[in-house]
Amino acid sequence: MMATIDVLKPGFQTTVQDAGRPDHLIDGFPEAGSMDAQAMKVANILVDNQPDQPVLEFTLHGPSLRFNGPGFIAITGADFAVQLNQRPVDQYRCLQVRAGDLLTIGATSTGRFGYLAVSGGFRLPKVMGSCATILRLHLGGYRGRQLRAGDQLPFSSRATMSSYYHRHTAAPAPSQPKAPVSIRLLPGPQWAEFSHADQERLTASIFEVTSNSDRMGYRLQGPRLESSQQSMLSAATVRGGIQVPNNGQPIVLMADRQTTGGYPLIAVVVTADLSKLVQCRPGQKVKFSLVNLAQATKLLRTQRAQLDHLAAQIRAAKYQQPIGRNRVASRRIQQLFD
Amino acid sequence: MEKYQITAVGDQAVAISFANRIDPQINQRLHQIGRLILQADFPAVQTVVPAYRTLTVLFDGSRTTADQVSAEIEPIIKQALQVALPPSRTWLIPVLYGGDMGPDLSTVADFAHLSDQEAVNAYTSHDYLIYFLGFLPGFAYMASVPDRLAMPRLEKPRLKIPAGSVGIAGHQTGFYPVESPGGWRIIGRTPLKLYDPHNPQSFYSAGDSVRFFAIDRDQFAVIQQADRQGTYQVRTVEK
Repeated sequence: MMATIDVLKPGFQTTVQDAGRPDHLIDGFPEAGSMDAQAMKVANILVDNQPDQPVLEFTLHGPSLRFNGPGFIAITGADFAVQLNQRPVDQYRCLQVRAGDLLTIGATSTGRFGYLAVSGGFRLPKVMGSCATILRLHLGGYRGRQLRAGDQLPFSSRATMSSYYHRHTAAPAPSQPKAPVSIRLLPGPQWAEFSHADQERLTASIFEVTSNSDRMGYRLQGPRLESSQQSMLSAATVRGGIQVPNNGQPIVLMADRQTTGGYPLIAVVVTADLSKLVQCRPGQKVKFSLVNLAQATKLLRTQRAQLDHLAAQIRAAKYQQPIGRNRVASRRIQQLFD
Repeated sequence: MEKYQITAVGDQAVAISFANRIDPQINQRLHQIGRLILQADFPAVQTVVPAYRTLTVLFDGSRTTADQVSAEIEPIIKQALQVALPPSRTWLIPVLYGGDMGPDLSTVADFAHLSDQEAVNAYTSHDYLIYFLGFLPGFAYMASVPDRLAMPRLEKPRLKIPAGSVGIAGHQTGFYPVESPGGWRIIGRTPLKLYDPHNPQSFYSAGDSVRFFAIDRDQFAVIQQADRQGTYQVRTVEK
């Protein structure tokens, strides 16, 4: 059954995102997609969706929404003040909503991006294979733009959910605003073109995420890195790539980055640490350390295994309490709704 | 034909790099390699992204590794270097040169010690290969602009360049599909709509070629109107 979600307040910047459009990088389209892909996937798994189904991504201050039909939702990402009908509710947990329910997502105190997944997903047309919004191109998502008050988001309503009481997981530990966040790097393709002093500076110094940071890239401030003067022919960019433009202040490339670039890449953030970096607010200090490719792959696989484990745990929970009469009842209720 | 290197770019990409220069032979081979890799349909390979002399292969790092992908694509590269290149399309693109549509035409002509008309003739005298699309959707990086016209980009980029503008940056030329800031020397504008959010996929691809032809102000208006109504057919030549 279709129902809608009314947008009462849109929040600071709320867009529809999914895994983006890697297939169209070749045509010059930014990859786009969720900044914190891990948080998106967890939200989707908690509500019985495929990990990359479209979600709402909100920034710094979330939206206020009214549900016009029953459903199940999960909110992940940074730590936001979330209320359902004026009562505080947990993130990283599947929540049942009923027609008329009011969800208020306030501000985040420590992080940056939050995600709202709805079981069954949002019913929005795909553009070039994806629902990801690219604001500067007016492309994808909800009419190619961020949400506004009065918008109505269609979603698949749902009255029952298997393993409902087991659909929760621990939220990642929030960063301490005072302490630098540790981010692991792989040497980039132009690593060897930087001096030893610069290589040393990258890992021995503290860098700060500046306010000039958005979905395209995070500009960092720290000791000046002297990029080699050798001119470079443009090459494809990757998410997490750290490019050093002429001013010597590194930029970490993010979801909406340009598809190609001509600045040397001194390093690339390991995929497993991207979520941690993405959630850093302006002013947050970061400290880099180097790992090798085998270590980075191991970290990525551990992170992916956590997702698989969560999905498996929820599946297995079908056979745990509450079972028996409750399950029979829920099946009958489901039939009534079908 | 050429030596190449395969290097990891982070934990989910490898780049195949050829000699460090803008060379149509190298670039066309890259596109060939890219097509064959996509056709091979390796389960963990996500996509390929060509540039001038590098082809970046993106993969799911939780399912495969840079070493494994390198081993898989090595025979494909060898194969691509041997087979004949498939025929490529050449798109005929109308451009109104100079005036308010091409504010830098006279500067470029002066740089080349040519009149504006001679500069346009020199610029349109041969086809340009689309080396890759990047920067913006449908922004085609093309080369090579004749040596004497190859003027470096502006010292200070403009904040706004209208959609359809055709520019020069050294030996590169390209058109701006959407309004954007930019430092290329703008010599003209095409009336064609190069980016439409309702139909975002551009009609040309990396590996195609472009032949520019000069039009006047009246033709510009006629073509623009026809293009907006969807009745203008961009002509192509097969090679």
